[in-house]
Amino acid sequence: MTAAPDMTVISTRALTKRYHDVLAVDGLALDVRRGEIYGFLGRNGAGKTTTIRMLLGLIRPTGGEVSVLGRRIVPGETGVFGRIGFLVESAAAYPNLTVRENLEIQRRLTGAPGAAVAQAIGTLRLDEYADRLAGKLSLGNKQRLSLARAILHKPDVLMLDEPANALDPAGIVEIRDLLRTLADEQGVTVFMSSHILGEVAHLADRIGIINDGRLLEELDREELQAKARAYVEVRVSGDPARAESLLRDAGFAHIERDPDDPAALRVPESADRAAEIARVLVGAGLELTGLTPTHEDLETYFLRLTGGVG
Amino acid sequence: MTFASVLSTEFLKLRRSKVTWGSLAGISLGPLAMALFMWIVREPGRAAQLGLLGTKADLSGLSATWPSFLSVMTMLVGVGGLLLLAFIVAYVFGREYAEGTAKNMLALPVGREWFVVAKLVVVAAWWLVLVVAVLVEALVIGMALGLPGFSVGLVASAVGNALLAAGIAYLLAPVVAWITILGRGYLPPLAFALASLALGDVFTHTGWARWFPYSIVPLLIGMVGKPVTVLPPGSLMVLALTFAAGVTAAILQVRHADNTQ
Repeated sequence: MTAAPDMTVISTRALTKRYHDVLAVDGLALDVRRGEIYGFLGRNGAGKTTTIRMLLGLIRPTGGEVSVLGRRIVPGETGVFGRIGFLVESAAAYPNLTVRENLEIQRRLTGAPGAAVAQAIGTLRLDEYADRLAGKLSLGNKQRLSLARAILHKPDVLMLDEPANALDPAGIVEIRDLLRTLADEQGVTVFMSSHILGEVAHLADRIGIINDGRLLEELDREELQAKARAYVEVRVSGDPARAESLLRDAGFAHIERDPDDPAALRVPESADRAAEIARVLVGAGLELTGLTPTHEDLETYFLRLTGGVG
Repeated sequence: MTFASVLSTEFLKLRRSKVTWGSLAGISLGPLAMALFMWIVREPGRAAQLGLLGTKADLSGLSATWPSFLSVMTMLVGVGGLLLLAFIVAYVFGREYAEGTAKNMLALPVGREWFVVAKLVVVAAWWLVLVVAVLVEALVIGMALGLPGFSVGLVASAVGNALLAAGIAYLLAPVVAWITILGRGYLPPLAFALASLALGDVFTHTGWARWFPYSIVPLLIGMVGKPVTVLPPGSLMVLALTFAAGVTAAILQVRHADNTQ
């Protein structure tokens, strides 16, 4: 069954999970559209895996609700799971079964056709390891096996928790291409979590940033790139307060002081006005010891947003 | 998906498991140990010279006869089997948590209850194979030893009793399955099985043995007093209730509990 092109495939409303005193997910509201790659970005322990587990009905929300493909997800019910492929947290497989046998189990349990196992092995480039015991695979190949298991039955929705874990750089690119192809050519909706901003920034159409269980921001790839702000770092000998006052008078409204470095000022959104800043300060007789136009990278932005260093 | 699909995957997992064949190898040591006991009892002088278990065998009140041999065989299947079966159940259910595959199993277009039922069917099949194998092995060894006192009726009765004890042990298995799912690993069910056996032994020495599930096998095979030939209806009811409660609890646990593994 194919959903309408503009259909919301994954939806959560006020989704909350509390473990005793710990609020793991706090009132999460998400909408993921069909054929979209949604990157769910957060630091370790931000609530990404708990959210994915609730999306899959593996844990029961304390409050709110989840629906996938228009069906409410209730733990213990089979619902739409034939149309969902997933990888939760760590790659897991039966160690005393071969790659092929592990996938055969998935095939039988999802009702996929007989050829699906060989196709999944081919897609994830596991041919060489097809008859090797899963317990003897490298971590990267275990991850490939888990991804093969997730796509084997040609699901409409993929929920992937840290899909690039343990993959080498070539493997990451390969998986990125695979997910892009699935989304663009087959309309597969991909919900992927990651704590690696670069991975999400490269692949996701839309990005949700979660921290301490709360969705801090939701933006598309272009918006995320634009968030990487530019500023000029100014250093003066003598009185930085006077420098700040002079710059404000000259029309630089937002000036930040660095608490760890009293001699430094930051003038945001002004990387192309460094010369003007220099003129104002030198013209007022201050000794300028540093003037550095800086472009903050995405990781710094992410860390700043989630309360880390940056 | 059909139940047959689920069952076939469970049999595949069992067939390729080293633990499965290890359990067969383990239980097959039982009749060999029985043969050693019989030899010690029959030839105590030589056994003492070799420093073997003469004193222990004497204390056990064994004699080198078919009735004595069959009594030990029933005990092996009944009490040893309770522990081995708990081990098998703990493995079949617990491996999904130990190997991290439970989460893969619980978000599929298959009712979670079918996994519980399929695993219990697989355990039953494997348990039957083990019990039949150990009985055949024991009878062949008994024949080879040339023990006195053989009669077809005696052997048939002992085999029947052993099969009944094995069946009762199986009725207690779903509770172990529930403890395994609840504890998400191997240790809780094994601790539970050991504690239950110890408690069962205590109850066997009281008038409550017929009401306590883990005392009923010892009662049946005559670990204390004479073997009970016909189980009282109360005991049968306790066993049926224990089985039903275990299956229900295991299904409810797997359907509704959070899976954070």
